[in-house]
Amino acid sequence: MDLNLIIYALNLAAIYSLMAIGISLLWSSVGMINMAHGATFVVSGYSTFIASGWLVPILKASLAGTAFYTPVLVFSLTSVALLSGAIFGAIIYLIAFLPLHDKPNFAIRSLIATLAINIVTVQFLLWSFGPRQKALPKLFGFGRIDFLDFSIRYDQAATIIGTLLLVGFMLLWFKNSRIGLEIRAMMQNPEGAALSGISIRRRALPVMMLTGSLAGMAAILLSQTSFFSPTAGALPLIKGLTIALLGGLGSVAGAMLGALIIGILEVITGEISFLGQRYVLLIQFVFIVIVLIIRPRGLGGLLDETRK
Amino acid sequence: MSIFKLNSDKQITLQAIGQKSREYKLRPKNNSIWKKFRIPMSRRHLLKWRTSYNKKSLIKERRLEDKRPLWWFISLISFAVSIPWLSNFALSAVAIFCIYASINLLWSLTLGTAGIFSLATMAVVGVSGYIAATANVYFGVPWPLMFVIGTIAGLIFGGFLALPSSRLDGLYYALLTLGLAEICRVFISQIHALTPTNGSINNVSSFIPEDWYLQRPGLLLGAASSFILLLLALLIYRLVNGETLGRKLQVARDDEEFAEAIGINYHSARLKVFLISCAGLGFIGAFYAMYFRSISLGVFSLDQLMLLFAMIVIGGTGRAEGAVFGTAIVILIDRGLFELGPMRIVIIAIVMILVTTYASNGITGIREQFRNFRHRFQTQKRSLITTKGGEIMPEEAIDIHNKQIIYSRRFNSRLRNYLKTLINDEVIAEHKANPVGKHSYELTRLLNYFRKAEVPDKYAVAQIGPLKDSQYKIFAFTGDPEKAPRVVDERVYSSKNEAYHAIFLLRVNDLLES
Repeated sequence: MDLNLIIYALNLAAIYSLMAIGISLLWSSVGMINMAHGATFVVSGYSTFIASGWLVPILKASLAGTAFYTPVLVFSLTSVALLSGAIFGAIIYLIAFLPLHDKPNFAIRSLIATLAINIVTVQFLLWSFGPRQKALPKLFGFGRIDFLDFSIRYDQAATIIGTLLLVGFMLLWFKNSRIGLEIRAMMQNPEGAALSGISIRRRALPVMMLTGSLAGMAAILLSQTSFFSPTAGALPLIKGLTIALLGGLGSVAGAMLGALIIGILEVITGEISFLGQRYVLLIQFVFIVIVLIIRPRGLGGLLDETRK
Repeated sequence: MSIFKLNSDKQITLQAIGQKSREYKLRPKNNSIWKKFRIPMSRRHLLKWRTSYNKKSLIKERRLEDKRPLWWFISLISFAVSIPWLSNFALSAVAIFCIYASINLLWSLTLGTAGIFSLATMAVVGVSGYIAATANVYFGVPWPLMFVIGTIAGLIFGGFLALPSSRLDGLYYALLTLGLAEICRVFISQIHALTPTNGSINNVSSFIPEDWYLQRPGLLLGAASSFILLLLALLIYRLVNGETLGRKLQVARDDEEFAEAIGINYHSARLKVFLISCAGLGFIGAFYAMYFRSISLGVFSLDQLMLLFAMIVIGGTGRAEGAVFGTAIVILIDRGLFELGPMRIVIIAIVMILVTTYASNGITGIREQFRNFRHRFQTQKRSLITTKGGEIMPEEAIDIHNKQIIYSRRFNSRLRNYLKTLINDEVIAEHKANPVGKHSYELTRLLNYFRKAEVPDKYAVAQIGPLKDSQYKIFAFTGDPEKAPRVVDERVYSSKNEAYHAIFLLRVNDLLES
């Protein structure tokens, strides 16, 4: 087996884990399933697309040829993606969380409301951009790093490192900040958190914005290898959801482990000649079903407590 | 009202309060037993008539307790009658409405009756539709057998889907099954044999003859047969939800441990309902492929699934009228505002957000929600009453069975309030001048009230000393037969009338203080 497949699997796992962690975090801390996560993904992709339309000519005019060009472009477009994801997360908070969070059946009602947001967003994007696929500029350039026996494409390296950095920062922030402490309390025991004076109403906003920006990051990383269309959010959403389930909703480590397993599984299935790409989704699904039949709370149940 | 005419010659006019008097009631003339028609093979009656006796007139009357069957009958009949007069465009909308409503009915069996939050509905419909279409196109199976193949395919697929349902609960299962349609879509789109047609199977033979297809008679036949499909789905919903399986699961929904304790195997009941629903969805899948004479990957799209889910949510989960009504609203927006283009999907989504935000269980649940709201509002309003004044507070009133007590207390309190307004210097002067004898209206009312009071509130005059030149003292009754009356004060009155007046003043004082 080619060693580069490991890199490919890691690359996939990075993007999947970004989606899955977002869904998982939101469910465990706020108790809502965000069906508009795919919409957030697409919205940040499109806003990055628009921003690159403005920024690339300006940067090319001023910085072309210098060593600053790529870092400035990467930094500016990534921050656009993160910011637009966060803003869309705040919009979801306003529409699907604030009016609903104190009503009975919140989990299902917010699921429906976010579904509706997803429908509206996809229709709006189809209406304003059309169904044609768009390609984002290659941020990291074309090239490979040769390291031991591995040959890593720039965008693969950037995806893996970027994801690790972002998740690392997120975990550090969770560990060291006041808000992070409160969010962790909400994840462990929402009632206990409420009793000790943590307002879920107030703390849901940073969580939503954070998960939104994770989806934004996933969008900009995935768009390096594939095209973008208004309906492109469906598959990342579904993969994110199933991986979050596999990892056990509410467990960051579980989501990362699940993403890694699914990424490796995808690569292996694609390589086996009699299976091929056609069976990738099916085998992933069957694998997840088998794991869930054995462990209904997913892999996360092994690692830490998950929300019931 | 006329009910009193029957019993007596006296005519009493009663005011009709509330809506009950407007309800249609049967008044049987004699006491013979009513032989109602029973549905063959069952003990059920067509309508739920209940006999009771009017509490005031004691006349026997029969009231229709559940009017929903009538509404269903009227709306289905008028719907069926209106089909031949519709335009071609409306006919296709009617057929789509009927197909989607049937899917939603079977889906709400899974969601509501079985309580399995499955989102794999369109996957079941699509897979069995594809299998039935494949059997027809590639293996030459005649079209009537497609229904059988579709049903069996749905049943088998449902069996696979049911495997994780016993282990996973609620949202976990929903999220798992959500991806299934997408997986089917990707899987079928990569089958090489179907690549030239972009994943769709065309030229499926159908119950609509080929030369009628997309013509007026074909559309009429399509609409009529989908209407029959809707009726079948309603029948299955009624048979599953209203009979043994549904009743068992209703107990389990309320309290699982209790259901288990009285011997209900709700796991197997849940599984049966799920399988029945999947088999029905398989049948609809075959029908779907036949109605459109083709089946394409669009059936698996996430938007399609979400649109169907929107229908159930807008209508209200767990009830047949919710599934049908929600479908009607969404199809009306989708087809009726066709010229708006993609905006109509946005309108549907906005309706969806509004319904989830404001209605607790869809549009058909609004009536119940409003009643709950009104009840809560009234209770709140009642609990805001803080002035007591001898009356019974509303929260005490519910504990008192004899409501007469409540009303007598209220009457007494109002009487006291009225009598207080009668007390003035003139009345007191009149009593002082003449404690015994004929009095004015105001004083008579006051004295009558004082006389009527219970013993503990009363005073007594005691004669002290010799019979001649005796003096008088005032005692108060204790109300306890074992305890002697107590002395009120040490004042001694020289005449009986003076003592009477003193008692009067005491009582007036008591009244003013009450």
